[in-house]
Amino acid sequence: MSSSEAVEQSESSSPAGNPEFINIRTLRKTYFRGNEPVEVLRGLNLAIAEGSFEALMGPSGSGKSTLLNLIAGLDSPTSGELSIDGRNIGEMGEGERAKWRSQNVGFIFQTFNLMPVLTALENVALPLLLTNLSSADRKARAQTALEVVGLKDRMDHYPRELSGGQEQRVTIARAIVTDPRIIVADEPTGDLDRENADEILKLMVRLNREFNKTILMVTHDPAAAERATIIRRLDKGILV
Amino acid sequence: MRLATLGVRNITRARFRVAMTVLGVALALVAFILIRTVLSSWTAAADFAAKDRIVSRHKVTFIMPLPYKYLDEVRAIDGVKEAAMSSWFGGKDPNHPNEMFGTMAVQPESILKIYDELEVSPEQKQAWFENRRGALIGDMLAKKMGWKVGDKVTLQGTIYPGDWQFEISGIYRTLRRSMDRTTFFFHYNYLNEWAKKNQPRSADEVGWIAARVSPGRRAADVAKEIDNHFDSLDVQTLSQDERSFNTSFLGMISAILSALDIVSVVILLIMMLILGNTIAMGVRERTQEYGVLRAIGFLPKHLAIFVMGEALTVGFLGGVAGLVLGYPLVEQGIGRFLEENLPGFFPFFRVPPATAVTALFLAMGLGLVAAAIPAYQASRLNVVNALRKVG
Repeated sequence: MSSSEAVEQSESSSPAGNPEFINIRTLRKTYFRGNEPVEVLRGLNLAIAEGSFEALMGPSGSGKSTLLNLIAGLDSPTSGELSIDGRNIGEMGEGERAKWRSQNVGFIFQTFNLMPVLTALENVALPLLLTNLSSADRKARAQTALEVVGLKDRMDHYPRELSGGQEQRVTIARAIVTDPRIIVADEPTGDLDRENADEILKLMVRLNREFNKTILMVTHDPAAAERATIIRRLDKGILV
Repeated sequence: MRLATLGVRNITRARFRVAMTVLGVALALVAFILIRTVLSSWTAAADFAAKDRIVSRHKVTFIMPLPYKYLDEVRAIDGVKEAAMSSWFGGKDPNHPNEMFGTMAVQPESILKIYDELEVSPEQKQAWFENRRGALIGDMLAKKMGWKVGDKVTLQGTIYPGDWQFEISGIYRTLRRSMDRTTFFFHYNYLNEWAKKNQPRSADEVGWIAARVSPGRRAADVAKEIDNHFDSLDVQTLSQDERSFNTSFLGMISAILSALDIVSVVILLIMMLILGNTIAMGVRERTQEYGVLRAIGFLPKHLAIFVMGEALTVGFLGGVAGLVLGYPLVEQGIGRFLEENLPGFFPFFRVPPATAVTALFLAMGLGLVAAAIPAYQASRLNVVNALRKVG
């Protein structure tokens, strides 16, 4: 871990595995606004242990979502090294990254992003369509995931028939249904009231502790960040 | 749930828009089917013409008659199996003066041998042969005029003036599309006897002679022999096989046929744009969802399949709706009207099965073409931008 990284350790840290499960070295990401380069991440160094629950905080434009997208394999770095469990994600091609994501990463979005034409069960089963599982196995797995998030009785409901908190729990079920090792959450409580936000955060803590998921969460909410075992702060593309 | 489930269910999201698109595609297909049916109906007479049938007429014009004696001479020419004459009578029903139908003086036995696609029951055929005032009429004419076997009918002659009494002896159906179903055939002897008495200059004349060639002989060769036979006489003939005769008529309206061809293609292009616009709107609205699908591991090809599948389904629905609307409209509505009122142009105005199948496949195929650009765009979208979340 670089000396420039500011780390706040919570007292309730979960048992960590490989301390360099996610290993980032001099990571840079530059976007172009027209012809003008905008350096979002500036030579970031970071190691994230397996089974940790980390919160990324920082002002808008600090690069936290960009970092999350890079770790999730949604984007590729401009330079530097990004390896997860020994695999260099930055060097993977588009198709390889898509396959890696489907097996290793679960996504939780601020706006839930469920398919409105699919039921809760079908939404949860969606990532399993990319596997070789039979229809019955997919259904059984999706049911189990919904059970974990406490929505077994809402399986046949469409997103429009669910509350915001329930929608986010369906999103979490979708994120865990493939049993990924990493869960990335971008402002998971941003669209929820306090009560529902607390429920979602409790669920995430449970996923981290009981199921040993490595969770990376971008948030502006200090109360949400407190649930993480480690809080990292970014500003202008570097850890502060 | 399967991958296709999502694509198909997406169609139900903007129901009004999709319904309007399906209706738009359906109406475009109805127009397409109608135009193609007009074209096929117009060319049906040529397409279904008997290959072994020759029509001989006066070399100068159709209006000028041939001497009756030519009939026997044609029959005697090597390669001619059978020949029959026809003369245009130009009769009208005084009770329905605006109804147009062909009235032909013929020799019953020979005309049925030449035009063997005319189907008449043996009893009615015999009754017609034996009744000098008997008439054989097409089933559509019988239906239109309300005539049935045994009815006494009076026609007013235009070329041969006066009131002419007939009795309906039989009603024919046609086995091929080369003959119209509204012709009124009657005995040539009845006409010729009257002409000898009242209009001697028109006696012993025929309008044209139709012949069938012997097996193994080419119709074009026999037609040439007929024309050569009469070449040195005062009245010369122009003989053509039936297909050439009909095709030469179509040649006169080839510009109209070409224009209709172009219109049918333009209609398909409009249909494609309607479909493409709907699909593109759907893709634009679902950009974020496509971003989510890509994030959880779906590949660009999966998104392209979703979009193409949606277009294919909308195209198929539009195609089916087009056929459901088009078939009864063309066959029972416009078709029936045209067959009854313009039998000369449209003896059989029916949607050819090939046109119906083509229309359905075109709707789906053009749907795929229309979706190609939106599908490409969906497959190329940047996941991060699609999720609209840059920190």
